[in-house]
Amino acid sequence: MIEVRNVTKYYGAERVLDDVSVTVREGTQTGLIGPGGAGKTLLIKIMSGLVPPDEGQVFVDGVEITGMNAIELAKVREKMGMLFQNYALFDFMTVEDNIAFPLRQEGKLDEDVIKQKVADILESVDLPGIQHQYPRELSGGMKKRVTFARAVIHDPPILFYDDPTAGLDPVTSSKIFILLEKRKVESGATSVVITHDILGVRDIIDEFVMIEKGQVLFRGSRAEIEATDQQRVRQFWLGEAD
Amino acid sequence: MRRILGMIGTAFMGAAHEVGGMLILTGQVLRYLVPPRLDPMETWRNLYKVGVKSFPIVVVTALLVGAIMVIQTGQMVAEFDAFGLLGWGAGFATLREVGPVMIGLMFSGRVGANNTAELGTMKVTEQVDALRALAINPITYLIVPRFVAIVSMMFLLTVIGNLTALLGGAATAQALLGVNPQLFYASIAEYLELADLMNGLVKAWFFGVAIAVVSCYFGMSTTGGAVGVGRSVNNSVVASAVSIFVIDYLLTWIMK
Repeated sequence: MIEVRNVTKYYGAERVLDDVSVTVREGTQTGLIGPGGAGKTLLIKIMSGLVPPDEGQVFVDGVEITGMNAIELAKVREKMGMLFQNYALFDFMTVEDNIAFPLRQEGKLDEDVIKQKVADILESVDLPGIQHQYPRELSGGMKKRVTFARAVIHDPPILFYDDPTAGLDPVTSSKIFILLEKRKVESGATSVVITHDILGVRDIIDEFVMIEKGQVLFRGSRAEIEATDQQRVRQFWLGEAD
Repeated sequence: MRRILGMIGTAFMGAAHEVGGMLILTGQVLRYLVPPRLDPMETWRNLYKVGVKSFPIVVVTALLVGAIMVIQTGQMVAEFDAFGLLGWGAGFATLREVGPVMIGLMFSGRVGANNTAELGTMKVTEQVDALRALAINPITYLIVPRFVAIVSMMFLLTVIGNLTALLGGAATAQALLGVNPQLFYASIAEYLELADLMNGLVKAWFFGVAIAVVSCYFGMSTTGGAVGVGRSVNNSVVASAVSIFVIDYLLTWIMK
């Protein structure tokens, strides 16, 4: 479970997150929605301990991570996987090295096993045989799937997906959402998905949290968001406003 | 007047911030160096990239430095017919001063700029965040191997550069002044001391530390996309060059 309590974050004088409290229940898939620049990416970076909040607390599985040092945070992050909006693949490594990276750093598995796991996961994301290519040789959709593979290869119980379908065509987007859903069913991981693709995620998300101007505007299930009378939330949900 | 003082104050605070950041980074690197905690593959990759790839440019620079030293001192040597001192004159200036400084400047331009650009690009494309998200400490994975590679290769390449500069000097002395290489090297062996060589190598070691810390610091503090990477590389090259001259001044004064 991830719990964010009264978190505030400033960039200079600007308050980019304003007293935000969000709880992501164990085994659920939570969708963070809202217009661009609302603070969604910052919020998941705070949840994962990549960015410290200026005020408030963050708990991961009941343990407060705010104020932890780098070594303590690294221990917590072993339980996490993250898919970055801009891929963040290591461009000096091949696809295989990128995906195998978390496993090699753990140092628990033999190289043969690691190579087999990489081959299997590439098969599962519909990209067999690209182990020896470099990220620069891949299309956007392929990079997203490789990033997904890297995020999940070590079976982390907590997953963060930062806009996994940004810039992708509808067919590739639907492939990504299928992967997310499959992952949820197979591993039961707790996950947080930032997305602007409401149509694509509405069936795979357990709870939606809408953020605007650094504040939580709404939280609830699909049924609750569809029934809400909050004008701004309805507009966003129906795609009538940014 | 108040405005001028304000500008000076802002510039001073900015410089203090940068220097403080570099000192903190140096402390973090030292912390992970004793005992050494660094990725072997990444260290090997950097040693190759920094050392082997810089070898040709260092050799060319050193050959020319040796040759230039002979041309400069050759006029005076010929005037006084003191050809027996040519090796000493050229070698003294090359080993103690010009060799390490020129190689340091070449190194900062090639290796330091490249290092800042690589780290800066990793920073703005979230690759550094990705490392941290995978529970990898960027200091041990990215910075410590680069620090080790830059410092050790700067030292080793200066040793190679010194030898090459003396070869270049001997060849030029023979070609332009007709000085026998044996006489050139005998002059070096007779008049130069081990301290002269060590003096330059100590400087090279400190130059390597400065280039490593400065280039890593500016790379890791990059923000603002491609423009930010360009700005960081520019700052890194300027700060490295200034550091080299400041360190050279201080060490020359201390080891005089």
